[in-house]
Amino acid sequence: MLPEISCERVRKVYGTGGRAFEAVRAATFSIENGEFVSLLGPSGCGKSTLLMMIAGLESVTEGRVLAGGVPVDEPRAEIGIVFQDPTLLPWKTALQNILFPIEMMHRSRAAYVERAMELLRLVGLHDASNKRPGQLSGGMKQRVSLCRALIADPAILLMDEPFSALDAITRDDMNIVLLALWERYRKTVLFVTHSIREAALLSDRILVMGRNPSTIIADHQVPFARPRHFSIGETAEFNELCGMLRDEVTRARQGEVMQDGGHG
Amino acid sequence: MAENTPSSYPLPPMQAAPPVSPWWLAISRQTPAFLLPIGTAFLFLLGWQVIAVYGKISPAILPPPTMILEQLRDNFPLIMSHSYPTTIETLVAFLISIPLGIALAALLVYSTLAQQALYPNIIFFQLIPKIALAPLFIVWLGIGPSARITFSVFICFFPILIATAAGLRAVETNMLRLCRSLRMSEWQILIRVRFPTSAPYIFSGMKVSVTLAIIGVVVGEFIASEQGLGYLILFASSREQTDLALGCIAILCVVGLLLYGLVVAAERVVMSLYDFR
Repeated sequence: MLPEISCERVRKVYGTGGRAFEAVRAATFSIENGEFVSLLGPSGCGKSTLLMMIAGLESVTEGRVLAGGVPVDEPRAEIGIVFQDPTLLPWKTALQNILFPIEMMHRSRAAYVERAMELLRLVGLHDASNKRPGQLSGGMKQRVSLCRALIADPAILLMDEPFSALDAITRDDMNIVLLALWERYRKTVLFVTHSIREAALLSDRILVMGRNPSTIIADHQVPFARPRHFSIGETAEFNELCGMLRDEVTRARQGEVMQDGGHG
Repeated sequence: MAENTPSSYPLPPMQAAPPVSPWWLAISRQTPAFLLPIGTAFLFLLGWQVIAVYGKISPAILPPPTMILEQLRDNFPLIMSHSYPTTIETLVAFLISIPLGIALAALLVYSTLAQQALYPNIIFFQLIPKIALAPLFIVWLGIGPSARITFSVFICFFPILIATAAGLRAVETNMLRLCRSLRMSEWQILIRVRFPTSAPYIFSGMKVSVTLAIIGVVVGEFIASEQGLGYLILFASSREQTDLALGCIAILCVVGLLLYGLVVAAERVVMSLYDFR
């Protein structure tokens, strides 16, 4: 079976000539159907650019991006995106915001209201469906935006540092919500983050991205069984994995390329 | 640590806040919000009356407010007949400037070519003291309403243009990415996202613009016209009928307030439809 997402030597260059800037170099990886993969790396390493190329929102300079076996050259209905900010329309209620993609896809709204309510229930916002974004906290807004990304039942969910603007406690809550949602729907997820513990808690696999050059420098399987609970964060294996990832990210930030992809 | 041991770092005794606030604060807290400005205005008019009556100042220089009121009462039909064209022309100019400003702003935001070709020129255009151009509009378009309306549009569309352009650009990058990921057309993004986002901006531009629209029409009437409040003010001043001129100015204020109130009311309606919070 073909992988759900595959990137083949993907390169992205902004600008031309002497002012050209290489944001991503020769990134190659694939993500299986139903896999939760985190893309971890220091800020400014091109993680978000890579995500936007997979979303079809940025053009690819060289190489190929395939989603569901088909080259991505424009945004697709089977890809849902969650951004760093909630990007909700302030004049619409939570429910209307969640149904916005359905409206824009010219599908029958009525057929999705029940699904929207179910999503709201799953993220613990069932009684906030008629509230407007201005009446919701940052974490609540991001939950609504998560529901919106899932409403059209996309095969792939792309998340661009979705919780990085939230405080630590809310962020932990959001991780629990996301774990529950993923275990319920088993989407193929690519999750961009610069939080090592978040990546280790949520993912099946972690890709580490370096800087200078901006490319995938390591690929780790995360060995913890599912369903996961927040308490795995206290185990020795978890902290060992985090320590190793931290070393890699630190070195990635300094621009060293690790040929073996391991630690040492 | 034992609970009853006294702290080794004793805190200084708490100082109570002074129990009485000064009388001016007490007044501003206890009176309804609308009373203070009305009271101040009343005192101002009273002072004016006293100075004008007991200061032995000629009514041609400074007529007392009561005399202005008498003029308003005695010449009410005359003043109203001149208020009508001024109000209509202002309204027409304002109503033309709204779609003009919004359409130009959309053009500037959507077309890089238009933005580069037009925007610096529009800014430069604004640096011209536009009042100085008013006589030329009379030369070009004659002394009829069309010259005044055109001139008024010319000076009042700009705040709407700038505010709308700022509003249309206020949509965040990620919001636009979301729209593109939903494969919305540029037209859909404009109608469904950019316009509602810029509604508060457009209304603040309109509030500035509606006052400029009146200025445009009155200046036009000053230069050449056969009717309107500007014409009547000029006519009264030339005959040293300062009381009549000030009466007209009072009516002009009322017209301005009404038009401004109209914009505020429209804003309330639109905002309650969208319900921003």
